[in-house]
Amino acid sequence: MQKFEGCPGSRMFEFKERDENDTQEATGKIESQLRQWPIQLHLISPLAPYYQGADVLLTADCVAYALGDFHRQYMQGKSIAIACPKLDEGQDIYVEKIKGWFAEAKINTLTVLIMQVPCCTGLINLVQQASLASERKVPIKQVVVGVQGEILQEEWV
Amino acid sequence: MERYLNKGIKEVIDQFPVVENILNEYEIGCAPCTVGTCLLKDIVGIHNLPADKEQEMMTRIAKTIYPDKEIEIPKVEREIEETVAELKYSPPMKKLVDEHVLIKRWLALIPAVVENLDVESAQGRELILDGVEFIRYYADKYHHAKEEDVLFQYFDENLEILNVMYEDHKTGRNHVKAILGALERKDKTTVAEHLTAYGELLKDHIRKEDEILLPWMDRNLSDRQIGEIFAKFNETDEQIGYSPAKYEAFIDGLEKRFNQ
Repeated sequence: MQKFEGCPGSRMFEFKERDENDTQEATGKIESQLRQWPIQLHLISPLAPYYQGADVLLTADCVAYALGDFHRQYMQGKSIAIACPKLDEGQDIYVEKIKGWFAEAKINTLTVLIMQVPCCTGLINLVQQASLASERKVPIKQVVVGVQGEILQEEWV
Repeated sequence: MERYLNKGIKEVIDQFPVVENILNEYEIGCAPCTVGTCLLKDIVGIHNLPADKEQEMMTRIAKTIYPDKEIEIPKVEREIEETVAELKYSPPMKKLVDEHVLIKRWLALIPAVVENLDVESAQGRELILDGVEFIRYYADKYHHAKEEDVLFQYFDENLEILNVMYEDHKTGRNHVKAILGALERKDKTTVAEHLTAYGELLKDHIRKEDEILLPWMDRNLSDRQIGEIFAKFNETDEQIGYSPAKYEAFIDGLEKRFNQ
């Protein structure tokens, strides 16, 4: 494993090559669980029909690449939006859109998936800002994913 | 062993009293339960012990039941396997646990209320009636209604653990009726007996819910269901037409009076 000091979000890792016998390979074509477009938080409308009363997944961009079973484990039956709390601009707009989910789309639950790197907690902060500013509350769950795809934490906020 | 896994816990304990001690060591306190019809296998499953602890406990129980035989311990089926990370209470369960806090403050005051019981004066009777109002409108209507009318509806009504909860609620209501009847007759002893019995019942009932039932329910509910229950709890609170603040003030007042 190589690494350099500095921002933990940009720190370089090389994981050992996975032994093919180590992992259970899925057989056959894996169906996508995505049921909407667009998905980027700047591009979506919180009032889109697929958010009405939905269980929504707000996920940091990197999560889907780290989590091997992302579609089956987390996307099934959920509407989604993605964002990067470190690199994306205009995050005040993100807060307004999340508030729109709470108040207007009347979503049922919000699950926030983030990576373990510190910058990713910014996404949770955006959600909490939106929740504090909203009269209508919904259950919010936080899932923290390790850089090798392991679930480090899963709890209701 | 399968035969005993499918028996009610009271029956197992009656036949093999040592089982009660073994369960106690793993913090499974079935002994004080008033009903005791939960099946041994359901009790083991619902407590979600780590696999090695469960295996160890089951081996000890098997050796108690069959001291001369080598018994293969069957794995107790769980609907949901242990999750990787431990979940805290979900928001609707947290709401119920938070409501328990005020009820527990009332339960802690009951011995002082009983000690100062006065069924003769208007002031003394008013205190008992205020306590009964707290039980009826906060602990029962405001709180237990959420459990019975919303939460429990998401589970099989024949589950023994739910029957135990319903039975506790019913017993609590009977104590309240008995308190009011005795107050009418100015029967101080009976008021004291039923108020004390109510306190003991609820203390154990809340512990069962906080430590066993609600975490188990959390493990078995989907995110979809958690969101629905949360919304229904909020609707119930809006529809009930009164604020719990009145009851918080009642408990604050009693604590000032008795804890000085």
